Amino acid sequence: MAHGTEHIEHHAHGPKTLPAVLTAPDFVAAWRTRMLVVAVAATLVSLVFFLVHDGPAHILRAYLLGFMMAFTFAGGGLCMLMLQYVSGGKWGLLLRRPLEAMARTLPVVAVLFLPIIFGAKSLYVWARYTTPTEFWQAAHQGLITEEEALTSIAKHAMLSKSSMIVEWAVIFGVFLAMMYFLQKWSVERDADPAAGSQRSYDKWRERFENLSGIGILIYVILMSVGAIVWVMSLDVTWYSSIWGLQFLVGQGFAVLALSILTVVLLSKTEPMKTLLRTTEQHDLGKFLFAFVMLNIYLTFAEFLIIWSGNLPDEIPWYLNRIRGGWWVICSMDFIFHWVVPFCLLLSRDLKRSKKKMVILTSWMIFARAFDLFWLIEPNFPDAARNLHLSGNFGILAYITVPVAILAVWAYCYLTLLMSRPLVNTNDPHLAEMLEPEHAH
Amino acid sequence: MPPREGTYGLLAEFNTPSELVHATQMARREGYRRMECYTPYPVEEAAEALHFHKTRVPLLCLMGGVMGLTTAFLMETWINVYAYPLNIGGRPLFSWPAFIIPAYEWTILFSGLSAAFGMLALNGLPQLYHPVFNAPNFRNGATTDKFFLCLEAHDPKFSLTESRAFLEQFSPASVVEVDH
Repeated sequence: MAHGTEHIEHHAHGPKTLPAVLTAPDFVAAWRTRMLVVAVAATLVSLVFFLVHDGPAHILRAYLLGFMMAFTFAGGGLCMLMLQYVSGGKWGLLLRRPLEAMARTLPVVAVLFLPIIFGAKSLYVWARYTTPTEFWQAAHQGLITEEEALTSIAKHAMLSKSSMIVEWAVIFGVFLAMMYFLQKWSVERDADPAAGSQRSYDKWRERFENLSGIGILIYVILMSVGAIVWVMSLDVTWYSSIWGLQFLVGQGFAVLALSILTVVLLSKTEPMKTLLRTTEQHDLGKFLFAFVMLNIYLTFAEFLIIWSGNLPDEIPWYLNRIRGGWWVICSMDFIFHWVVPFCLLLSRDLKRSKKKMVILTSWMIFARAFDLFWLIEPNFPDAARNLHLSGNFGILAYITVPVAILAVWAYCYLTLLMSRPLVNTNDPHLAEMLEPEHAH
Repeated sequence: MPPREGTYGLLAEFNTPSELVHATQMARREGYRRMECYTPYPVEEAAEALHFHKTRVPLLCLMGGVMGLTTAFLMETWINVYAYPLNIGGRPLFSWPAFIIPAYEWTILFSGLSAAFGMLALNGLPQLYHPVFNAPNFRNGATTDKFFLCLEAHDPKFSLTESRAFLEQFSPASVVEVDH
């Protein structure tokens, strides 16, 4: 250590110090303003679709897509938050506050659902009538098919306007309760007088684990109910037992993409600059890759089973989504949400590059929304096996309405992200995150 | 091939990975290129300090995967369409969705095998003899808690006296001359 320069270089290998200010940097406020501008602009453009033929119907469908995306982030954020509490690990501590902020938007998402309750009759066949007699009358008048009448009557216990409200109340009630305790304890954990001691670490770890373990199970069951009632039942005659799991993985796909996007964008300045190490970014990239694989695995398995069975009560769902021009959307969906992320995430350098991961994760969020478009729109008789734009400009609402909803959601998310330090300090993993990268 | 004789290199022993990385960086700056780090666990910074080049293992793995994919898919197509056409539930002979699963499995199998054997082929394993084991302190230290930097004798900058002096300025635990 004879020379000064050597001395400095040597020191770079020691542990880093935790930045003094742990709250989100000021530019997050600028992003928030930008989101508000996007929300207003997208809403104004969306209003134009009220004037076109079939516009209002398409606005409502697009609203459902936007709601499902917001729910993906809020609910999926809650689930991923619980997952990192039970699995532990540095990646979990790194993403904890962003995931918490996503979960804390749940009240907003619960309110966002209200227009769907009011517009249920336009979206769901089963919400149009209440008694079996009314369903049969409608079937005789040719308003709905006989099969739709039969299945709506058979599934009445789960699919009716009153059940829909009860399901909404239970799903969001339980999620909000879980979110309330998780976010409350998270603040109390940092304020613990015994912070930094093994006793404090164990106490909080156990408390979070006890709620999160059972919480994940409850979440998966209730989220499956939500995915079935809100999206699968758009075609009341069709069913798939893998549906809930497929949505769960879709949530993991989008939530992880958004979390990585958040931490990488925040890492331009302190405190995330110090906290985000290439090692953890690389690990998260690998985790994201796993979700990309699992997502295509489930969706393809569903397709292969139904294609092999080729039964008249299952296969029309796919035919509605492949024939009449929909094969273009179907192929693009496959390329967007599997081929592109799969091929790119194979690269180690890409997973370790901040700039490239920002582009890829943004792309993946778009791909998830595109996938939902393919799932939602062909359910409706005017669109099934008939993808067309002429005389159907309302379909463009699928671009503007989800953007408006997600911008509003992002505004809430960023507000909540700014309200707390970006990292939980009373956690033993924090010391590991400040270690130089070679000491693993 | 006759056994090689003479000095293989100079082996410096360090107690911490930081010291090793520092010495490696300085050696690189000094102009040494033929050198190697030996550590009890992976130290990525040491690889960086050595400017360790990228290997071709990922490329081999990718090629293996693509080969597996095409082989399985073409094989299924050949069997089902040309070699032994069977009418299964009235489906077309070229039922590509059903071919995806075997093609996927073969992709994994071929890429896994080509990664494993490609790694062995490129790194020269299994290797039954290496001169650094001649150093008395290497055998135990390199697998437990010591970090070694070896400046190899075939580096043009290598000189028994100057290289030793160079290594000693980083106060290593020891500097040992290793024979072939």
